[in-house]
Amino acid sequence: MKKEKHAFLPMLTRMPVPFLLLLLLLPGHLIFAQGSLKGYVKDKDGKPVAGATITVKGKRINAVSGEDGAFSINARTGETLLVSSVGFDAYELKLGSITNGLNIQLTTNVNILSDVVVVGYGTQKKKDLTGSISSININDTKKYSASDLSQLLQGRAPGVAVNSDGQPGAIPNVRIRGFSTFGGAEPFYVVDGVPGTTIRDFSPNDIETMTVLKDASAAAIYGAAAANGVIIITTKLGKKNTALKVNYNGYYGYDKVWQRQKVTDRVQYQTLNNESRVNAGKPLFPANDPANPGYVKINTDWQKEGLKTGNRQNHNIGLSGGGANNTYNLSLDYFDNKGTYVGNGPDYKRYIARINTTAEKGILKVGEFFNYTHSHENSLTFRDDILLGGIPPLIGTLVVAIPTMPVYDPANLNGFGGSSSEFNGANSLNGIGINSILRNYTDVDRTFANVYAELRLLNNNGHNVRFKTSLSYDKTTARDFIWQPAFYLGKFFSSDIARLNDNSRVYTKASIENTLNYDKTFAGKHAVEVLVGQSYRYGDALLRESRAEGFTTPYYPVISNGQTRSAKGSEFVNSLSSYFGRVNYSFNDRYLLSASLRRDGSSRFSPSNKFGYFPAASIGWKLSNESFWKVPASIVSSLKLRGSYGKLGNQEIADYQFQGIINSGVPYTFNGVNYLGGIQTQVASPNIQWETKAITNAGFDAVLLSGHFDLSAEYYMAKSTNLLVQFPIPASTGFENLAPVANLGAVNNSGVEISAGYHKTKGPFTFDVSANLSTVKNKVIALGGSNNPVYGAGSRTVINREIGEHYGFVYEGLFQTQAEITAHAKQFGATLAPGDVKYKDISGPNGKPDGVVDEAYDRVPLGSGIPAFNYGFSFTAAYKRFDASVFASGSGKFLINSRMYRDLHHSAGALNYSTDMLNRWTPTHTNTDIPRLNDDDVNNFKDSNRPGWLQNGTYLRINTVSLGYAFRENIIKGLNSARIYATVQNLYSFQHYQQYNPDFTSGVFNPGFDFGSYPKPRTIMVGVQVSF
Amino acid sequence: MKKILYLFIVCCLLSTSCDKKLNLTNPNALTTAEYWKTKEQAYAACTSIYNALGVDGSYMRSFPGLTDSRGDDFTADSPWLDLVLTGQFIVPTTSDPVFWIWREFYLVVNRANQVIANVGKYDPAVLSSDEKNRILGQAYFLRGLAYYNLATTFKIVPVITEPISNPDDYFAATATEEVIWNQVYADLQKAATNLPISYDNVTGLDKGQKGRATKGAATGLLAKSYLYRKDYTKAGTELEKFLTGELKNIYSLMPDYRDNFKDKNENNAESLFEVQFTEGTGTDINWACDPSGSWKQVQAISVTYGMEGVAFSDYLPTRWIYNEYKKEKTVDGKSDPRLLVTIASYEPADNSTQAYGRAWFNPQTSIYPRKYTNDGVGNGKAFEGAAESGINYRVLRYSDILLMYAEVLNETGKTAQAYPYIQQVRTRANLPDLAVVKPAMTQAQMRDQLAHERALEFAIEGQRINDIIRWGWLYDATKLAELKTHDADFNTWTPGNEYLPVPQRELDLNKNLKPNPAN
Repeated sequence: MKKEKHAFLPMLTRMPVPFLLLLLLLPGHLIFAQGSLKGYVKDKDGKPVAGATITVKGKRINAVSGEDGAFSINARTGETLLVSSVGFDAYELKLGSITNGLNIQLTTNVNILSDVVVVGYGTQKKKDLTGSISSININDTKKYSASDLSQLLQGRAPGVAVNSDGQPGAIPNVRIRGFSTFGGAEPFYVVDGVPGTTIRDFSPNDIETMTVLKDASAAAIYGAAAANGVIIITTKLGKKNTALKVNYNGYYGYDKVWQRQKVTDRVQYQTLNNESRVNAGKPLFPANDPANPGYVKINTDWQKEGLKTGNRQNHNIGLSGGGANNTYNLSLDYFDNKGTYVGNGPDYKRYIARINTTAEKGILKVGEFFNYTHSHENSLTFRDDILLGGIPPLIGTLVVAIPTMPVYDPANLNGFGGSSSEFNGANSLNGIGINSILRNYTDVDRTFANVYAELRLLNNNGHNVRFKTSLSYDKTTARDFIWQPAFYLGKFFSSDIARLNDNSRVYTKASIENTLNYDKTFAGKHAVEVLVGQSYRYGDALLRESRAEGFTTPYYPVISNGQTRSAKGSEFVNSLSSYFGRVNYSFNDRYLLSASLRRDGSSRFSPSNKFGYFPAASIGWKLSNESFWKVPASIVSSLKLRGSYGKLGNQEIADYQFQGIINSGVPYTFNGVNYLGGIQTQVASPNIQWETKAITNAGFDAVLLSGHFDLSAEYYMAKSTNLLVQFPIPASTGFENLAPVANLGAVNNSGVEISAGYHKTKGPFTFDVSANLSTVKNKVIALGGSNNPVYGAGSRTVINREIGEHYGFVYEGLFQTQAEITAHAKQFGATLAPGDVKYKDISGPNGKPDGVVDEAYDRVPLGSGIPAFNYGFSFTAAYKRFDASVFASGSGKFLINSRMYRDLHHSAGALNYSTDMLNRWTPTHTNTDIPRLNDDDVNNFKDSNRPGWLQNGTYLRINTVSLGYAFRENIIKGLNSARIYATVQNLYSFQHYQQYNPDFTSGVFNPGFDFGSYPKPRTIMVGVQVSF
Repeated sequence: MKKILYLFIVCCLLSTSCDKKLNLTNPNALTTAEYWKTKEQAYAACTSIYNALGVDGSYMRSFPGLTDSRGDDFTADSPWLDLVLTGQFIVPTTSDPVFWIWREFYLVVNRANQVIANVGKYDPAVLSSDEKNRILGQAYFLRGLAYYNLATTFKIVPVITEPISNPDDYFAATATEEVIWNQVYADLQKAATNLPISYDNVTGLDKGQKGRATKGAATGLLAKSYLYRKDYTKAGTELEKFLTGELKNIYSLMPDYRDNFKDKNENNAESLFEVQFTEGTGTDINWACDPSGSWKQVQAISVTYGMEGVAFSDYLPTRWIYNEYKKEKTVDGKSDPRLLVTIASYEPADNSTQAYGRAWFNPQTSIYPRKYTNDGVGNGKAFEGAAESGINYRVLRYSDILLMYAEVLNETGKTAQAYPYIQQVRTRANLPDLAVVKPAMTQAQMRDQLAHERALEFAIEGQRINDIIRWGWLYDATKLAELKTHDADFNTWTPGNEYLPVPQRELDLNKNLKPNPAN
């Protein structure tokens, strides 16, 4: 038997899931015997354990414990009993003399199935869940250092895709189950029961649980807000009857950008640029012309000069405890991340103070939390309004900066070097200079508080009625300070006028929620839970801008010191009024049913469209609790099938859009006097309403091998309709907003999500391996109006295809001879020569190739910009006092269009080149796919599948590798526990992508376009955790 | 159990009261339904149409640049490829500045349509009929001007004359040239009827305001439109209004040609219509997007045209136009005074050794535009880095009326009668009497003479390419060859590409839209 079992295990892992299921259902080899030995299975607290499997070792004799934990089995002295049950460690007992009334006590194992999961407006046992819910292993995620909580979710739960970049304070994109809306796709966050908060200002140290609700059945209780998924977070509470416990967690680490773009040095650069000029029949630029007295010999390595070692630290002190009737938890947190770009940013610093308390007397329980956060963020100083010419983000600026520009030039105002298009051929921006001259920061202060009271109105005879009222208030003020002194970084990037923007934003959110819960188990078999509730939320955003120009030196940058000043302000108010209800019913711990309904009313829609209804239902079947289920717990401890269907809404759009409004600030001067005109400048969207997402979900949760192995898999299909499409309208309409919103879009997403884990919990060496994988298939069903395609950067979205596919011309190699050019179709009226890119003439006005390659007829879809699958892998292990963990995640099967790559591979212009360009086509070097240089090129840079223009995005990133050591208790007197650890974050990324992050943040309609994401640094940290 | 029921009822009551809090008024702006009620609103709506003339794609920067650069008097010299390719007639259909021009003139159209539809319904008790006529007249004029510019730039475009409210109206179809030009005529005729000659003595909020459209502006532009379409008779009828009709003695040539391109003496006697730019208002530059009260009212032509070292120098005058000025000396043997107003050139003989108020700092052989630059203003601005200037853009000048009339006379067989009108313009430039220098020209000779006169008088004023188009020079082998010698940019011209292409974005979005010959 033992041998057999071992052979069985590896086989299990290789088998396809349906086959495995089938196998497990086969009852063939199981024989049932009438029992002679009677006993009880109990847990540590002496409560009966129902459904435990009792086997006689080496024999095919089985029994299952009843509701009272009792069992009877045919066993003899000398035989060994094996007892297993979901959520408990397997138990072995060698029988001495047979004694009836044997008490077997099981110990709880770490299996998460026994965990209580936080769900919408309540908690549920994981084993009773019928919806699609992922709970995040929060202790594991805390090993990743990030300024934003949502970043911790990357790779942790199937179906949750997190894209982020490496700038301190950068806000990641979180998408649950694909691209199902064209607007804001951020999930809905519920923190300690308060719906609709932002989680930017929380510390991971304070988090107790994090749960992701993915399907309609789990999320419909949040109705109109839930279409993008819901993430529920609870924070740490103190424990009752505990003396003050002090915890300190802290780490310090260094950040370093490990990726480098290979760019040409001075000599290579000048050679290439001169060649492009000669090929265009133009004179050399003075800076690059050896015959010119201005010939430049400066050789700046911009990446070396501009990237520095950053650092990060986090210190958290927790004070917690409680008396008989109360608990408290106080936490102070400091996070500081200094970025890797030379100059005034990016940096991010945050202070948090948080208090959670609870108190109870009799039927009343009250609690509150109070959270105060201050953060200071220096962003990279990128500003469209003064940096003319559509330049890339500053990281891109650094990479493409010309080597012949000096970093410093004392002759210039502010002392930084510059360039000019006449002298250098390029207006190359000195990224170090601009990032040092400009000051750009945001200070955020947030106060977030909640008070709740819960009354246990009825608690007898199994009837349990609770009423809870919860009030919350959340106020965030942000100050955006943007200072631009007079500066000179070359003529193109200069200003002799100093400017200051000192803006403020105040966001107020308030909510009141009342819920009534009832639960009872009837006749021991029918468990019923009922929830009804009501909620009102109010939000206000007050935006104020003040701007001043013309400051005299020495500068005192406050608004009043500017010579011309102006102010702007606007306010946006919204409200949401809702009712909701849910019934959970379970019969005999086998059949589970859940149904919910929510009605939302939103101020964002016209009176006739204000209200929306969001129903959902789900069923579950605990197959393994059926009497016919004979598979021993040592193989399948538990198996549950589940399915759900329901509707969710999304109303994340701007306020007041259903009304046409008058812009009363349209100025014009007569006789030099400024008059303000007023007219409708923006087209309205009178009929807008909710987006609706209907999700069908089916899956199973299995616990195998006595609880050591758990496996969940599910399939979902989500149909999003009435999507608010910012659908572009012709400019001939004469409005300023050329993409008004309307409920015209529809998108389907479907996918499979699998998560599995193996837990070894016994012995000195323990480990836990978990992995998850999710696929997503996306199909656009409608785009509104006549379904005109939506064009993004190098992308197109059309119906019946995936959102934001890469779109462009088809590469056919390089022209090698003039004859080839003559024989080929014309390309955009460009004057071509051998060495230029040849594109395919695909079609024309008559549906046939027309001898002209042009935008209108010759662009085709070139591949997907959305990963076909995302996955995460985590391994944690402990040996005696040592612990280690590795976490990796990745995505596969998608193509990236990189602005940085293209900027470095230009045929025209004079910014710096990739060293790949040394391999360009020349009459003597024709065996290459890099076109010739030509300063007049209007051909080669087009969106196309030219090699490198679209890159394979598949990657695997080693996110964290961590090693820790826990000292023995009281190693120093009074010290309860102490652990030290070292972590490497973003150790390495296996990727084809030549630029920085394959998981960059992007726009909806060009998911595969990397505008220039900031590289994620490699971080090496050491940390301490102590408690006394 | 009863207690719970009560509690539940209280909850429900609470929540119904919450539903009432869902009707929130927008605290930021009036809704369209609440607008169009007061006199002030009618005026404000009219003002907002003008605003669209002063943004990037219209007269603030791109329209003059992309129009001038296609002429043989001007060529792009810029790292901004769109500008270069436009001059070479090969600008891609995806070009941003081309799109901006399209977008901005439709802003004018939309705002004018709103005014025409809504002010027309005003109660005379709120808005007197005189005021209503003036407001409608301005709206018609501005819409006519927008369609004139769209038609000369893109050849065929949709004609929209009603406010757009229904999403079905977003996708307007391309109209025929006939329809477009008839719309231009109709709008300008209504404008000419409704508008006053001057606002000096009107009764209303617009009293005394300069810069608003007048009867003269509408009549002049109507004449220019007929001329463009070679309807010489109708053009003549309109032009005669300035010489013998109700507009007689309203306009005259400024004694100093330079007064037409400075931020002083704006809206002067020679000016029929100009786009108003003013420095010193607002803090946000008026490039584009939804306007706001903090917008400046400046133009950026000065900084794109301004010379190397102080501005972007995106364009240069051609050698041909420079030499054209040198062809004829003034009566006192000097250079044509218009040369150094139009072109910044180092000319010690003409006492020109400075630029931007200091010693000439570029190669002495180089020439740069001066018209519409701050150098031309002579206001001592040493640097144009701020990308801002308050010089009004002159859309139509009286000298054009005179030369257009001369052209009408020549084209209608009255060549001899054309001399005095041309001479008025020449006299201001101190040039000798044409009747003496070149007497008894044939019609064909006179055509060439007029082309020469217009080139000198209107160089770098967004006129030349439209003259070249309407004279059919591009399709005349001799003339085309000449153009190629004037400006090498014409070497890459191919038939149809004298227009700017209909923006690709529009074609992609609007299936009712037709490409034009430049697409």
